Parts: sequence; structure tokens; C-alpha cells
Amino acid sequence: MLEETKNMVQQMLEEKRADGILGLMKGQWNIIQPHIFSNREELECLVLEPKWHLAKMAMKILRTLPPDYRLAVICRGCDERAIFELIKRNQIEKEKILTIGIACSYEQASVCLCQRPYPTKLDVGEACSGVDPFDDERVRDLLVGDDRERMERWVKVLKRCIKCYGCRNSCPICICEPCKLEDEVWVRKGSIPAEMIAFHLIRAFHLSDTCVACGACQEACPVGIPLMLLQLSMRKSLQEKYDYEAGIDVEKKSPVLSDFLDEPEKDRDIPAWVNSLREDDGS
Amino acid sequence: MTVEKNKAREPRILIFACKWCGLIGADGAGRNKVSLPLNFRVIPVECVAFVEPDAIIRALASGIDGVVVMGCHVGGCRFNNANHVAIKRLELLGDLLDATGIGRDRLMVSFGTAHEDYQFADVIRKYVDRIAQLTTLEPWVMPRAKKY
Repeated sequence: MLEETKNMVQQMLEEKRADGILGLMKGQWNIIQPHIFSNREELECLVLEPKWHLAKMAMKILRTLPPDYRLAVICRGCDERAIFELIKRNQIEKEKILTIGIACSYEQASVCLCQRPYPTKLDVGEACSGVDPFDDERVRDLLVGDDRERMERWVKVLKRCIKCYGCRNSCPICICEPCKLEDEVWVRKGSIPAEMIAFHLIRAFHLSDTCVACGACQEACPVGIPLMLLQLSMRKSLQEKYDYEAGIDVEKKSPVLSDFLDEPEKDRDIPAWVNSLREDDGS
Repeated sequence: MTVEKNKAREPRILIFACKWCGLIGADGAGRNKVSLPLNFRVIPVECVAFVEPDAIIRALASGIDGVVVMGCHVGGCRFNNANHVAIKRLELLGDLLDATGIGRDRLMVSFGTAHEDYQFADVIRKYVDRIAQLTTLEPWVMPRAKKY
């Protein structure tokens, strides 16, 4: 798999399809770090493990480079989805970026609880089937079951938060400037742990239809809050109702932006929508 | 005189009412002196699409027990089907509230059900009963820091 990638990168550089290739390099003292490969001699140091989220980095690098520079990124499934979402939000120009898609192993997918451990444009490796996150015990503890018990579990988990903003900074799609989480109106300042409902739910809801389930937020969290689980139920319902998954298609827009006439909900007529409690229609 | 400290607090409810539907019902209820539970406040909005989900989250975080969003009936919006978008958004928010155990019942989204005064009163009464049955949000809400 590594050799294949090296050949491909070399070919790309020789044909001048890309000016630089963003990937991981094993440098001095075996330290692994991101690096832009632009000549053949460096390619010996190329590695593919561990998982490293390169999408946001690619976005920031592209902003500093001259406009005719074309960057290729060695990316996994989640990176590619994040790049597509950033293209949709006009943060990356589609012409300036190329992807070299590599597939994840099944072990990696089961660690990340990834439903789609392969990119849509797969160049190296073989796609393995994804994992259904709702089969996992950790997930079911927090997401399925009695409301009261789950509330207690969530409170216990979220009380550990030290408000380091790591979840926001590491997220490939959190790009707003200025950020609502730093605003006194929305999240109270000067208290640790962060306000549980306000901080975490506002952050989670902002990513409701754009979360690509890469798990960068929970990997960055210093106190190990499983933040990705907040997104799972929203992702699931978008998938079930509108057949939409973030980052699969560059052209398809989020169903939340259009009305029921353009993008109807499955198995539900428009007049049926009266009341969200659903037991009485107020008639 | 003794103050009963353990007495359960009356549920507090915040209503975002669309100017063209829910607010007319609320106005009418006041004018016709319909008997209503007293524990709600109404915030008029031009259209329900103005109601940010963040505002609802903020309300729950500040100790409000339930939020009601009232809009025109689906298909009767004055602003190019803006309430369709609001429905989609608020449904997603409901999923998020469900995932954390707060429960989607805390947020009632109701469209075209509160145009008349008696309808408005009915919706509010039912919702207050419902909120009273739910468990408290106390563990979630952080106490306000002391001011010195």
C-alpha cells in the first residue's frame, strides 16, 4: 500500500499534475509530521500511519500559496469528506486541490466507529465495510435507553470539560470567524466546566448537517469526552429522512437549506406536520 | 412565616410566537380574558425562521423548562416557505436534545394550531401539564456565579 502510494505521488510530480503533495513524513528521530513533498528524494520518508486530519491544514496552506499552486492531499475517507464540505462552503477552490484517496483498515474503522472508512475516489488499497456505531456498547450507553439515566451519564461526562476549545479548533469544518462560543451572549464566561447545555449543544448543533464524523473533536479532547456521539443521532436522522450524508457529494446541498417542496421528507406529507409532540394534533 | 423551600418550582415556559399566527392567538387570549396558566412569556418574532436553534439552547441553559415555537401552518408562510426550513432545523435540534437525554418534549414546535384565543390557551395548558411530568433539568443548569 505504501509503495503504491509512493509510485502514485512520484508519477503525479513527474507529470506536473500537482506542485506539492501534502502527506505525513517520518523525519529525524522518527518523528512523524505533516510535510509537503515537492521532489522525488523526499519520498522515501513518506508514511501513511497514524491517522492525521489534514483537511484544515490543507485549507490553511492553500491560503498562503500563490493562486496557481495546485496541492494534492493524501487523504482518508474522513479527510476527503471534510475537503468536500470545505469546498461547499467556499473555503477551498475546487480546481486547486487534488486528492489521493487511501482506504482505512477495518481495525482503524472500528476504533473510529466509522461508517464509511474509504473515500469516494479510492486510489490505493481496498475498501472495507464500515462499522455501525449504534452496535457499540459505549455508544448505546449514552445514546439509547432511559432519558433520566442517560442525562446523568452525560452530565458526569461533560462536567470534565476544561473549556480548552480543542474540539472547536481541531474540527475541520469549524471555520466561523468570530465564533459564537467566545461570545458572552451565548456562553457565559469565566466558569469551568463550561456551561454544559450552552457550550456543547451550540457547538454540536452548528455542525449538525456538516459533521463528517472524523472524530477529530474527541481525539483532541484532553479529558476524553466522546463528543462525536452528540452528532451521531443527527447524522442518522438526516440519512434516514433525506438520504443525505455530509461530504459525499460536492454538488448536493444540505436538505436543511431547502423547503419541503424541493426536498421532501420521506414517508411524511406536508399537511401532517402540525405538532412536534405527535400524540394530539390539537383538533 | 415559613417559606417552603422544597416546594416544586412551577415550570417556566418561553414562547416564540410568529407575528402572523401565534401572536394573534396570544393577543386574543389576553383581550378575551381566557384563563391561562401564568408561567409563560411570549417573545414575538416576525417569522419562526428567525428563531435560531442556538436561542432555544440558550434558553434551556438559563433555566427555562420548556420552549414553544409557534408558527403559521405549513404552506401558509408569508416569507417564501421559510417555516419549512424552520421545521427541518428544529427537528434536527429535537434529535440532538433526544441524544443528550434532555428529551425532545422540552421543545414543542407547533404550526397553525394557535391562531384563535381558545386554541392558544389549549396548547399552553396541555404543554404546561406535559412539562410538569418531565424530570427536572437541574443537573444540567449551572448556577450563576456570585457577583461581588
